Amino acid sequence: MNYLTPTLLLVLTCVSGFADQTNQPNPPHHSSAATGTKKATKSSQKTTNPPAPSGDELAIEPVEKVNDPWERLNHTTFRLNDSLTIHAIKPIAHGYEHIVPHTVRTCLSNFFDNVDFPIRFGNDVLQGRIVRSGQEAGKFLVNSTVGVGGLFRISDHVSSLADVPPEDFGLTLGHWGVSNGPYLVIPLLGPTTVRDLTGYAGDFAINPLNWYLIFSNQRFISTAVGYAISASRVVARAPRSVRTYEQMKEAAVDPYIAVRNAYLSHRAAQLEK
Amino acid sequence: MKGSIGRIRSRIYEARTLTAVAVINLSFVICHLSFAAAQADPVAQLHSEVDQILALAYSGQSTETLAERARPLLEKDFSFDLVTRQAIGPGWRQFTAGDQQKVTDLFSRLVIRIYAARVVGTQRPTITYGKTVTLAPDRCEIPTRVTTPNGDKPYAVVYRLINLPGGWRIYDVLIEGVSFVANYRAQFDDLVRRGGAAAVIKTLEAKLAEPINPNS
Repeated sequence: MNYLTPTLLLVLTCVSGFADQTNQPNPPHHSSAATGTKKATKSSQKTTNPPAPSGDELAIEPVEKVNDPWERLNHTTFRLNDSLTIHAIKPIAHGYEHIVPHTVRTCLSNFFDNVDFPIRFGNDVLQGRIVRSGQEAGKFLVNSTVGVGGLFRISDHVSSLADVPPEDFGLTLGHWGVSNGPYLVIPLLGPTTVRDLTGYAGDFAINPLNWYLIFSNQRFISTAVGYAISASRVVARAPRSVRTYEQMKEAAVDPYIAVRNAYLSHRAAQLEK
Repeated sequence: MKGSIGRIRSRIYEARTLTAVAVINLSFVICHLSFAAAQADPVAQLHSEVDQILALAYSGQSTETLAERARPLLEKDFSFDLVTRQAIGPGWRQFTAGDQQKVTDLFSRLVIRIYAARVVGTQRPTITYGKTVTLAPDRCEIPTRVTTPNGDKPYAVVYRLINLPGGWRIYDVLIEGVSFVANYRAQFDDLVRRGGAAAVIKTLEAKLAEPINPNS
């Protein structure tokens, strides 16, 4: 379940020490306070007199409207996903954590991240980010060789490769000027937008591990092996997804809005990088 | 002769005394300047505050104990008043002073309790500080990168600070671009418009009454 990205971040806010969106064109939705440095800097440039030290001007920012025309349906899907997470995915995640040692789980997670290299690299190229595509290639090379087929993320210890923003086709579409479109909650997949869902389909097609589903006659991997790999990928990511989702629910006064805001803000921040 | 030796000894004594006084004064000035520099530099202050909180957070205490002990530190570092005002949004001005105080208290308790529940049982992360970005004459943001020892991917945390009369205080935290206060403001928005302060207080009290699962 793709709750990891949106829920993660709300929860990490608390873990780290302390843890609306509009229908406007790109750069897309930002909640006003989440807009980050760029917006804040702009506002500071307009300021002629120093603001009052009480921070009053910060406390009056309204919530921007969110492009969520199917909110009722999305709410229903959100509740369905919640039940699936708690009653189906959580037991699987617990079983996986109980059986597989932590080190092995980390290695598997690293492996699947490394396998996603074509998606990140391809989208860097599509966005014309030459330096970043070179960094991605370097990461893949280092992790695949020194990191034993991607089991170990050696690139984290190389300063130039440690913090390469991951790209996907949703971000590429955003980079090309495509707006988010309506917010969506998809069964099993979780929160997304029309643009990001389109991008997800594109990334799915780019990933060689999914070709067994697209090209029935290809001999790259057999269908059975393909399904096994897909299932392993889901299971490997399940513990963290479930944990962050549950932590998010505990922190939120309205989990649906919390996830929606976190998802859209995070994607907007990714697009700005 | 004896008088000359006495005068020389006396001058030496005076010189030593003056030197000692000068050294003491210099030390005092250096200490004072260091302290002033630490007060004026939000990065140094944030670094010190985060270190204190992490030291407390990872000292092997239970969730309840940690929440109680972390509260004074967090209240010193955060402007919970401003954090709560931002989280509620423009509707804050419609609240009575009593409601504002009540909401601030409940919201800060919720944040501290969740924080305590999340760090108990985890390993201390490593934090790398980036360059400070000035947002306004009295505001800045400090980017950090948090690396956990459990092998998870590092993540970006940005602290936003405001220079209030009492010193630099944190008024927002952004994790991978997600603003803590904006996220809560989005959640409270409908609640404030429909039910005002009473609805917010009721919701926060209900939230605080829920048990926290430290293993989630």
